[in-house]
Amino acid sequence: MDTLKRTVLFHEHLRLKANMVDFGGWEMPVNYPAGIVEEHLCTRKKAGLFDVSHMGRFVITGKDATAFLQYVLTNNVLALDVKQAQYTMIPNENGGALDDAYLYRFYEDEYLLVVNAANADKDWEHLTKEIKAFDAHIANKSDVLAMIAIQGPESKNILGKLSKDTYLTEPIRNSLNIIELDNKEVLIAKTGYTGEPIGFELFVKSEDAAGIWTLLIENGAMPVGLGARDTLRLEAGLPLYGHELGLDVNEQEIPIFAVPLAKFAVSFAEAKGDYIGREALLRQFEALQRIIKRDFSNIADLPRMVKPIALDGKGIARSGFKVFKDGIEVGNITSGTMVPYLKTEGQGLETIIKDEKAMRSIGLALVDSDILVDAQVEVEIRGNKVKAVIPPYHLRGDAPPFARPILHDFTETRKVDTSADYKTKALNLIEKSFNNHLWRQEESINLIPSEQSHSSAVRLLSIMDPSFRYAEHKKIKSFYDYDVFYYQGTKFIDEVEHLLVEELKKYFNCTEVETRVISGQMANTAVFSAIMDFKNRVNRKKEASRLGYVMNNHIIRGGHLSAQPMGALHDYIAKDPITEKSAIVNFPVLKDNIFKIDVEETKKIIAKYKPELIIFGKSMVLHKEPVKEIREFVDEQNINTVIMYDMAHVLGLAGDYFQNPFAEGAEIVTGSTHKTFFGTQRGIIAGNYQKEDYKYALWETIETRAFPGSVSNHHLGTMVGLLMAAYEMNHFKDEYQKNIIENAKYFAKCLKQAGLDVAGDPDISYTETHQVIVKVGYGTGAEAANRLEDNNIIVNYQATPEEEGFTASGALRLGVSEMVRFGFDKKEFEQLAEIMADVILRNKNVKEAVKKLRSQFTAMKYCFTDEEIVEGLNKLAAKL
Amino acid sequence: MQIIEGLYYTRDHEWVRVEGAEAYIGITDYAQQALGDIVYVELSEIGTVLNQEETFGTVESVKAASDMYIPVSGTVTRTNEDLADNPALVNDDPFGTWMVCVEMSNTKELEQLLSASAYKELCSEVE
Repeated sequence: MDTLKRTVLFHEHLRLKANMVDFGGWEMPVNYPAGIVEEHLCTRKKAGLFDVSHMGRFVITGKDATAFLQYVLTNNVLALDVKQAQYTMIPNENGGALDDAYLYRFYEDEYLLVVNAANADKDWEHLTKEIKAFDAHIANKSDVLAMIAIQGPESKNILGKLSKDTYLTEPIRNSLNIIELDNKEVLIAKTGYTGEPIGFELFVKSEDAAGIWTLLIENGAMPVGLGARDTLRLEAGLPLYGHELGLDVNEQEIPIFAVPLAKFAVSFAEAKGDYIGREALLRQFEALQRIIKRDFSNIADLPRMVKPIALDGKGIARSGFKVFKDGIEVGNITSGTMVPYLKTEGQGLETIIKDEKAMRSIGLALVDSDILVDAQVEVEIRGNKVKAVIPPYHLRGDAPPFARPILHDFTETRKVDTSADYKTKALNLIEKSFNNHLWRQEESINLIPSEQSHSSAVRLLSIMDPSFRYAEHKKIKSFYDYDVFYYQGTKFIDEVEHLLVEELKKYFNCTEVETRVISGQMANTAVFSAIMDFKNRVNRKKEASRLGYVMNNHIIRGGHLSAQPMGALHDYIAKDPITEKSAIVNFPVLKDNIFKIDVEETKKIIAKYKPELIIFGKSMVLHKEPVKEIREFVDEQNINTVIMYDMAHVLGLAGDYFQNPFAEGAEIVTGSTHKTFFGTQRGIIAGNYQKEDYKYALWETIETRAFPGSVSNHHLGTMVGLLMAAYEMNHFKDEYQKNIIENAKYFAKCLKQAGLDVAGDPDISYTETHQVIVKVGYGTGAEAANRLEDNNIIVNYQATPEEEGFTASGALRLGVSEMVRFGFDKKEFEQLAEIMADVILRNKNVKEAVKKLRSQFTAMKYCFTDEEIVEGLNKLAAKL
Repeated sequence: MQIIEGLYYTRDHEWVRVEGAEAYIGITDYAQQALGDIVYVELSEIGTVLNQEETFGTVESVKAASDMYIPVSGTVTRTNEDLADNPALVNDDPFGTWMVCVEMSNTKELEQLLSASAYKELCSEVE
């Protein structure tokens, strides 16, 4: 074995008693004494540590480095920002893969390309030949730079303990950073080859590798050999060169687009230009598009594709075994084995991963492109045809921190009302509704910041006659813009709506309000649609161009879902033709306070991207938004943009205790009327345009995008309720808003004193809004929220800006608004903070204490309690 | 590595335990260690008539499938049913986990097999 190459960690593997094998000319550990099964499961449940230093590492620099990489790789290198990585292919002229690779950009002017060990020499020869046509340089750094992967749910905690800065990377796949581990510089990437949503690859100087390797093992990572690396990647459906890429079992080239990941790894952007294999790849891509639309008439350019396969019958499908459908051979297994998984209990977010293991026989197969998901097929194993199925996937990583095995024969169980007759069902519904009302209104403490109970007046008014009626109306120019209603019997509604508009204008101190939208999300949709229409108004005969760039708060930093491309922006946001990504830029945040926008950096980004629309506002919000500073900057720079403030979460705080959006320079405010505001569940749009303004036409477009653009009948019942809520707000807001902010600050301080980890800036008592964020430990947010709910305290679990998503959330988002409205003051919030610490830190049962506390605060404040009003409400109630 | 006295062995790392006219057959400790985690065992059906050296089953680890060859001719009378649910028994206790039992048709074949000491020597040569 002395001709085999060895990584810098070779002696560590021997020390750990690894079973060493020849892998692509390298002497590598196939497994350690724990064995492949345990190593696989430990990666899924805790953390696995992999020596991947055998892979090739090439550094590309020089004036034409980007142009060179655009030519020899399939992905769009211009889409790669600094501190990002991308999956890519090294193509040949036929649209096959010489190799698959990962491209990392740790530094502005330097790219790091990581290729497969077995292909490294071949890749090097190819790349050094092609680079001659470019003013660029390629260097082989495989010897000086070692590479270690740590993958699995615990990997972040393990690295966090050892890192100088606990912030490792952005919590998004393919993010990069440069950190210090054990006083040594480490390039860290949120990438991996296991399907784990939490996993990192580290590049360290070769002389530091053994030390860091040992340290990671000492801190809980299990060394994992190539055997489990293969089962992990197989379960994740990731291709392995020589199996799913390269040549198939018949020595035919596998088209790159046969691999599902190709759609992320191949670009045809104009900015990328021509490159090796582009023509062949384009033909494959066109075939793929037809296949996706289930047009199988012309699949010659992509006859077979790699799909997951799961065995129903006994046996193991090994690479090369034939796959049949209806007795006809349709392809071959490319990889297959028996992989372990841990059994689970319960469903949804309450799923518990047990220690009990089981095995399943799965694989990947290169099969005819017209084979659909869930197809029943057979695999020929030693002469026997064994039943199998084509599942959509074997594993999902979209509920971090765990990658979760998906069993194709899983059936969901859900509770249903099995009563024999509808009278019983009706009675059950009434009873459950009554109990739920009692529980939420009299026995529980609600700290969900986006909720608000209504006063009796608002509630009653919302369910009176108008809730059965229809109204549609439109301003008519012939009548000097007087609103014309389309339904008879709606004069009352006309009046209510007019009064509501006036009341809200007063509240915001602005010139225009649109009240017909029935949710905050709809308000945003109407505004985005209007801004896009306004942009294209000069020529409506051509295809309207979308908005770009748009600036917003990133969702992981608390940005509101309604202002994201996945939310209301979806149909209105352009794609940047250079990067092929949504034309979005995010507000940068302060390094030492990631909850707050960095104004100076924001100005730089605005100057660079000149966004057409700037959207302030968040759903996880601790600070005022710097509306005034940004307004001054865009005016000074003469940047043509629209400044909008999505106040959904803070609508009821608009005013002197928080922010006056229009006085600070916002043009448009949207929001939902039921979070901090007192209203029914609706939306509003407010604007501050004068009739003579150039942009008044934008406001008129907003109105037409509300009706007929978004709603016809606009839920009249809740509109009457909202008018009452607006009266209450305008009457009580000084006292209410002051108490909200003061109590939130006080509550935050008490939670901190009670021993909890309160996020934010202690110098301002953590918050300037109604919200308080409490960190409870990575990935435990949902569990803590469940425990609080069992104790009648209702909160949101919340992912902080460091976390991957709501299932990995390690924080709780609390809001004081509803309880302030029920009369909670400092004394009660202090008591509540201690009770919550008892639950969160000491797992105590406090249900009775919570019930007792709540029972003293069931009467709503900040609403009218005058005798005549109560009498009037009784009159209304009697008519129900 | 464990080798048990009193059993017969093959060069392919099977062992044979003779009880009267019957032979119980399994794979050795050396074999299970080389294979790693055993995840599937497929065996000939009861009643199958096998000539010496014919395949009586396949043992599969995560990494690979290996055929097993019958050391003595005979008819399969029993198979170890525990292996269907728990193939890892072979890793845990290779000599306690027989796979098939055959009624031997030619006990003379036993003479061609290795003794424990000869098998031990074979393993150390390979090492």
